[in-house]
Amino acid sequence: MLDKITQLVTAYQAKITQSNMLAELDTIYLELFGKSGQITVLPKDFKSLPATELKTIGPAFNQAKQELEQAISQKRHDIKEQAYQKLSEEKWEVKVDSPIKKRQGYLHPITEFENQTAQIFSNLGFKQFEAPLIDTDFNNFEALNIPPDHPARDLWDTLYIDGQSYGFKAGHLLLRTHTSNAQVHVMKAFKPPIKMMNIDRCFRYENLDARHEHTFDQFELIYIDKGLSMANLQYLSEHFLKQIYGPDMKVRLKPKYYPFTEPSAGIDGLCIFCKGQGCKVCGGVGWLELAGAGMIHPQVLKNGGVDPDVYSGIAWGVGPGRMAMLKYDVSDVRLFNSGDLKFLQGLKGDTSES
Amino acid sequence: MGEVERLLPLRTISTKEITDQSIELDMKGYNRADLLSLRGVAYEIAAITDSTVTFNETPHDGWIWNTSRVDKLEAPSTNLVKTYNLAKISNLKVGPSPKDWIDKLESSGMRSINNLTDITNLIMLEYGQPLHAFDAKTVASEQIIVRTAKAGEKLVTLDSRERELEENDLVITDSDKILGIAGVMGGKNSEITDQTQTILLEAAIFDPILIRQTASRLSLNSEASKRFVHGLSEERLLQALDSAIKMYQQIGGELRAIQVTDKTDSKIAIPLTVSKTNQLIGIELKKDQIDNFLKKLHIIASDPGKFTAPYWRLDLKIEEDLIEEVARMYGYENIPATPLPNLDPQTADQSLFELINKLKEQLVEIGLTEVETYSFFSTDVLKSIDLNGDKRQNLVKVANPISAETEYLRDSIWPNLAEVVSKNYRQGFSDIAIFEIGRVFYLPAESSQPPEESYRLSLSLMNNTDNPIEELINILEKLDLGITIDGPSQKDMPEFHPVRHRRLLFNDQPIGGIAEVHPRVINGLGIDKRVAVTEFSLKAIL
Repeated sequence: MLDKITQLVTAYQAKITQSNMLAELDTIYLELFGKSGQITVLPKDFKSLPATELKTIGPAFNQAKQELEQAISQKRHDIKEQAYQKLSEEKWEVKVDSPIKKRQGYLHPITEFENQTAQIFSNLGFKQFEAPLIDTDFNNFEALNIPPDHPARDLWDTLYIDGQSYGFKAGHLLLRTHTSNAQVHVMKAFKPPIKMMNIDRCFRYENLDARHEHTFDQFELIYIDKGLSMANLQYLSEHFLKQIYGPDMKVRLKPKYYPFTEPSAGIDGLCIFCKGQGCKVCGGVGWLELAGAGMIHPQVLKNGGVDPDVYSGIAWGVGPGRMAMLKYDVSDVRLFNSGDLKFLQGLKGDTSES
Repeated sequence: MGEVERLLPLRTISTKEITDQSIELDMKGYNRADLLSLRGVAYEIAAITDSTVTFNETPHDGWIWNTSRVDKLEAPSTNLVKTYNLAKISNLKVGPSPKDWIDKLESSGMRSINNLTDITNLIMLEYGQPLHAFDAKTVASEQIIVRTAKAGEKLVTLDSRERELEENDLVITDSDKILGIAGVMGGKNSEITDQTQTILLEAAIFDPILIRQTASRLSLNSEASKRFVHGLSEERLLQALDSAIKMYQQIGGELRAIQVTDKTDSKIAIPLTVSKTNQLIGIELKKDQIDNFLKKLHIIASDPGKFTAPYWRLDLKIEEDLIEEVARMYGYENIPATPLPNLDPQTADQSLFELINKLKEQLVEIGLTEVETYSFFSTDVLKSIDLNGDKRQNLVKVANPISAETEYLRDSIWPNLAEVVSKNYRQGFSDIAIFEIGRVFYLPAESSQPPEESYRLSLSLMNNTDNPIEELINILEKLDLGITIDGPSQKDMPEFHPVRHRRLLFNDQPIGGIAEVHPRVINGLGIDKRVAVTEFSLKAIL
C-alpha cells in the first residue's frame, strides 16, 4: 500500500510539473480529488489492512494528499504569475467613439429617496450643506449639549479615529454619529435666517444584523429664523410626508427626548400599511414614527454664535434607509451597502426620479 | 388602563411591551429620572389623566429617625459622595419573601432573592432610590469606608464574577477589604446569607459620572447603576430609607443605630413668560391655562413670572424645559400646522451637489447601476490590494473598530467596486457596469489637522472583453466633463495593469486615473476576469 501511495505521488508530481495550463491542472485535480479521484477512493482499501500497517499508512496518506494539493496550488500560482509577466506585452488599445453596450441603469434606492427629499425642501428655500464625516467630539457631542459621560451618550455608540500619530488625543476625533454635527458648522458659516440641509453618511458602533447597520445615511434640516415655532415644525413634517405618501397622510407630533432640542418631538405618520387601522408593522397603534425633530436648544444656538433671545431654530431629521425599507418592503438593512445587484436592480416600484 | 396606554406616548414617552398587567416605558436615553420609580410614574399619569395620586408622602416629622430615639451610627465622612446614609438593623431572619413581593418584583423584570434583599429592590422600584444591604458581621468593626480603588484591586461581585478595578472606581470598604463597587454592584463577601441577622443598610447619592464610567467599563449596567446615572433627589432618598426601615421592622427587625443627613434639594425658580411660551409652541394660551397645566405637574408659580419644579423633576432647568411641559399638557398632536414665515431661498453654493446629481443621472442614463459600499476597506479588499505590504500605515485608522472589517477607512473607492464586481460575478452576473459617488479619507498633510476628506466618483466595468478599459473610456468621454487622458503615472502601482493605466487631467491638473485592475488583485478577490476602473476627485472639476 505504501508503494502504491509513493508511486501515485511520483507520477502526479511529474504530471503537475509538466503542465503549463490552468485547464490541465483542473483535470489533474479532478483525477486526484474528484468524486472518484484516486486520492479520494484510496482510504476505502485501508479497512482490509492489518492494524500495524495502518499506523504508518495513515500519516503517509495524509502527507501525500497535502503534497499533491500544495503542488497543484503552487503550480497554479506559477502559471498565473507567468501570465502576469506577459501583461507588459499587452498594449494600451483604446478607440475613442466606439459604441457603449446598451444596459439598463439603476439609481440606488437611498439616492432616489434623498433626491426626492432634497427637492421637496429645496422648493421651500433650503440648500444643501457639506459637513465633515470625521469630526471632533466637540462638534458631534459637546456643542450639542451632550457633555462627556452624559447618560444620553448611550444613544450613540461611537467609532473613534486613532489620530494620535498626527496630534489628536484619544477620544478627540470620531466618525460622526449623526448629521447634527452639521449644526455648529452651519451656524458658523452662515448668519440667520438659515435654511440648510445636510444629507450623508453617519456611523455607529453597531454589530451588523438585519436591523442594525454601522454605516447609514441621515437627512437633517437646520432652520433658524425669528419666531419659528413647533407649529412650523408640524407644517414642515406634514408638508414633507404628504409629498412622499400623498395628501391623505396624517401627521402628529409626540414628546421625545434629544439633548440638543427643547422642546423635542417625535414625528408620527399614519401607518402607511394599514392607513391607521392598526397592523403588525405599526404594532396595532395605527401610527409609525417616521422622523425626529425639535426646537434647537438655546445653548446649542449660543454655541453656534446665535442669540436665542432673538432667533429660534428647528432641527428636523429623517432616516433615508428606514424610509426606503418601508417603501420597498426591504427586511434586511444590510442590502443597501452590499452592492448586491440582484437587490439593487430588482426592486419593485418606480425607479425613475419624481 | 386603555386611556393611560393611549395617553402615555402622546404626552410623556413611547411605550414598549403592553400586557393586561403592565406597560413598559421606552427609557433608552431618556432624561426623565422620575420615570424610573413607580411614584414618579404615578405623578406623571395623574397629571396627564387629570387625576390625583392615591398615596401620601410621609411628612418629615413622621420619619422613623424623627419619631423615635435611635443611636447615632458612625458613617463615613468623605467628599467623594454627595450623601451617604447608613442604618443598622438587627434581629432579622432570612427567609423567602411573601408572594405579593415576589409578584411585584417579577412583573418589574427583577427576581426575588430573599426577604432582606427583596426589601431593597421593592423600595428601589417604588421610590427610584437604590439601597444596598451589607451583612454587618462581614464588615470589620461595622465600620464603612468610602474611597476610590487602587489600580489592580479586585472584587468578586454578587454575580460571582471577579472584577478588576481602576483608580477612578468608587468602592465601599471596611478597614481591610472591599465590600462593593459603589452604585454598581455589591461584593459577594458581604452579601446577605441564610445566617444574616444584622444588616447595614446604605442609602446614598453617588456622582452619576463616576458611576456611569465604572458601570460601562465593567459592562455592568444594573437597575441600581441606571438610577444613580440618571440622578436622585435627597427628599426621595429620605422617604425611601424611612420606608425601608419600616418594612424591616414589620418582619421583626430592630433599628439599632442610624446616620442620616437631613438635606433638602436645591430648588431653582425658572422664569417663564406667556409670550415666549406661545411663540415657541405656535399657539395662543392664556396665563391661567399655562399655570393650570403646570400645576397638574406640581410645577408651582413662585416669584412673579417664575416657577418651581417638584423635587422629583431633576430634568427641568430652563424656560424651554417648562415650555415643553406646557406643550405636552396641551397635547403635541393639537399643535396646528403654520406655514413657514418666509420662503426666501438660502444663498449657498450648490455647485458640488448639482454636479453630483447631474453625474448620477447621466450615468444611470448611460446604463450603469449606482452602488453604495462601506467607507471602510474590508479585510478581503486590503489583502488583495496591499501588494507591497505598506497600505495600512497610510490609511486613516479607527481606534475602536467593531471588527477588522471596520478598522481602516478607504482612501479610494475603486477597490470596493472591484470587490462588488467579483461578488456579483460569482452570483451569476457576467456583465457589470457600476459606479459610486462618495467620500474617501486620507491622513492629514500636517500634524494637528484632522484627516482630509474628498468626494470621488468611481466607475468599474467588467464587460467580458480582454480590454474593458476601452469601453470605460468611452463612458467617461460621454460624460463630457472636459477631462483629458494623460500619459501613464510614473509611480509604482502594482495594483494596476503594468501598461494599461493613465492619469486623468482637468485644466492640466491631475485629478485621478483610469486603469485596468491588475489580474492579481482581481484574482485575490476570487475571480479571473478583466476589470477596468476609473476614479477622480469631484471638487477638482467644479
